[in-house]
Amino acid sequence: MRKKECVAMLLAGGQGSRLGALTRKIAKPAVAFGGKYRIIDFSLSNCVNSNIDTVGVLTQYKPLVLNAYLGNGAAWDLDSSDGGLHVLQPYSTETGGRWYDGTADAIYRNVDFIDRYNPEYVVILSGDHIYKMDYDDMLRYHKENNAALTVSVIEVTMEEASRFGIMTVDENMRITKFTEKPKNPDSTLASMGIYIFTWKYLRAALFEDHYDPDSEHDFGKNIIPLLLSQDKPLYAYTFEGYWKDVGTIESYYDAQMALLEDELEFDIFEEKRRVFSNSNISPPHYFGDNAKVDRSLICNGCQILGTVKNSILSPDVYVGEDAVVEDSIILPGAVIEKGARVIKAIVGESTTICENACFCGGNENNKIALIGDNERYESA
Amino acid sequence: MKTAMGLIMTNYSDGNFDSLIADRPIATLPFGGRYRMVDFPMSNMVNSRITTVGIITPYKYRSLMDHLGAGKEWMLNRKVGGMFFLPGSIYGVKNERHSKFLLRDILQNKAYLERGEGELVVVTGSNKIYNMDYREVCRIHEESGADVTLIYKPNNVGCEAPENYLTVDENGKVTAISADAGETANCFMDAFVINRELLLKFMSWYGALDYMDMLDIFEDSIDKVNIRAYAFEGYLGSVNGLKSFMRANQDLLDPEVRRELFLSDNPIKTKVQDSAPAKYLPSAEIKNSMISTGCTIGGSVENSILFRGANVAPGAVVKNCIIMQKCDIQEGAVLENCIVDKYVTISAGSKVIGNVDSPIAIGKRQNV
Repeated sequence: MRKKECVAMLLAGGQGSRLGALTRKIAKPAVAFGGKYRIIDFSLSNCVNSNIDTVGVLTQYKPLVLNAYLGNGAAWDLDSSDGGLHVLQPYSTETGGRWYDGTADAIYRNVDFIDRYNPEYVVILSGDHIYKMDYDDMLRYHKENNAALTVSVIEVTMEEASRFGIMTVDENMRITKFTEKPKNPDSTLASMGIYIFTWKYLRAALFEDHYDPDSEHDFGKNIIPLLLSQDKPLYAYTFEGYWKDVGTIESYYDAQMALLEDELEFDIFEEKRRVFSNSNISPPHYFGDNAKVDRSLICNGCQILGTVKNSILSPDVYVGEDAVVEDSIILPGAVIEKGARVIKAIVGESTTICENACFCGGNENNKIALIGDNERYESA
Repeated sequence: MKTAMGLIMTNYSDGNFDSLIADRPIATLPFGGRYRMVDFPMSNMVNSRITTVGIITPYKYRSLMDHLGAGKEWMLNRKVGGMFFLPGSIYGVKNERHSKFLLRDILQNKAYLERGEGELVVVTGSNKIYNMDYREVCRIHEESGADVTLIYKPNNVGCEAPENYLTVDENGKVTAISADAGETANCFMDAFVINRELLLKFMSWYGALDYMDMLDIFEDSIDKVNIRAYAFEGYLGSVNGLKSFMRANQDLLDPEVRRELFLSDNPIKTKVQDSAPAKYLPSAEIKNSMISTGCTIGGSVENSILFRGANVAPGAVVKNCIIMQKCDIQEGAVLENCIVDKYVTISAGSKVIGNVDSPIAIGKRQNV
């Protein structure tokens, strides 16, 4: 195997339980986003746009849809004979098989995979954030500082800080302290869960952590404190740009609705630093004679006979005659039958909202109505 | 069942297409919002599990190579078989005889047929829109003991010329081929199945007459070889000029046609471009239209087909039109019965109104 300067490891095994019904059947990175994308597209596209051509995707929770979507990585130009995309699923050994037990453990158990490429640096990513970032800039920063670890951070408000892992830094941006979800934060630099390690330091730390019986084998809780205690050079890299964790139904909904605004905070449409996705081969979408559309995003394969307003329609969605879709996100293959009303809702993949049914949120507390994948909703 | 290999002819650009075929063959005319004409024969081949497909290239082959690439979208980037580019002759671009199956083009690529392992060859042109499983024709071809089976659509009236029609007797044998529709209007679908050995024999018998078309050869030998006909019952869109091009595109607005072509278990495939979703502004008004990803629509669109990345500004009106990739229809512009080629700008307030029977073609990269 030829040596690679940098290998990316993408953690995509989490359930994302706060997304409720959306992740009942598929892993969070495979959840559809912004019409034609899936959440993992953003991290994968960042990799290829940052000239990283070797990506290990660690999967664990309900990986079937995710694996099928990733395929051989061709959609992201990662179908390479030298590197490329690899799905890394937990495997058994002569001492038996185990699930990945924490983020650090997942990497630990794929040390052999990384060693095959003998890299200088390893980028650790999670497959559940929406952002565009050039990891190459961060790598340059990492090299300039001769760091063992560089953590990408984003400035948050004092109130938000207690929900994040917070980095305290000196005047050179060297990390002096790391606190997970502090009650009284002394900094507003929040970890984005994006790490660049110099491989030899990470490798050693993973082994040390593995044999620590008290460790939870987590990057934030264990690996960073371990390296700090060893006085290794750890730096924070400030990212200025759009970055969203779409971990809850509300943030998942809001981040997508923001794509309908005139002034975009996050531009999925611009052609530089494109977001790639594994597109389908459906025909262009079709509007019937009585269709109405207003401020919406619509994908290939949709058939719209009714009204769509302020909504996002993923590929192959059907909206029947006199049906109304408003302020909603409709995931791939969903069917909104004749006369049905879907308002302020998220409708899961291949789910049917039956004729004349009303699947509506918005009344008390302005709640978002949510239905998972492959369901039928019949009542009025 | 006998194995089949494919041969797709693209070395022709006859017909009344105006500027649309100035620098491309009919095979790469953009069609139906995200497709090109050649997608149909290509997909029909692979959907019929024909995995060795030769493509006779046109004189201007850049767009064809660009579109087909390594054949990945049709799963023809294979170890066994796959896609073969077969250089066509430089005389095949335009000719008086409306030739699609020029013998010279096939002769030049004899090696492909000699080395091929298929016992049958499915030969098609590239200006017919349909979704068909050739395995059924091949089976009937074999059972009937035919040497050649020509595929036709019965009672296909109202085609724009030039078109070929078959006279078929009660036993299913072809007795004549003519440019006249006659009463039956058995429209030849520019597709036939032939035994490979026979095709090679034809090539040596008629080798000196390489300006002939395979159809001429069939006519010439209609008494000597068993030429039979197979009737296709599905949808056929014939594209021979601007009018029929417009009609075939608008046929896609019929849900049944769309289902047959694109939503069956063996849909037509095309090169994937991966654009962002289409964006609709509050002022958008859309009626009976097909619109692709990457479009931004603020104006009014009716009975039209819009390709990837087209922009229709608020106040613009697009009616009975085909708007190709990345066109910019600016505020207040009005387009009716137009076929607008790629990268055209229709500036604010301008008006182009064509006739239903003779749509106006606006050439690539123009500013109107």
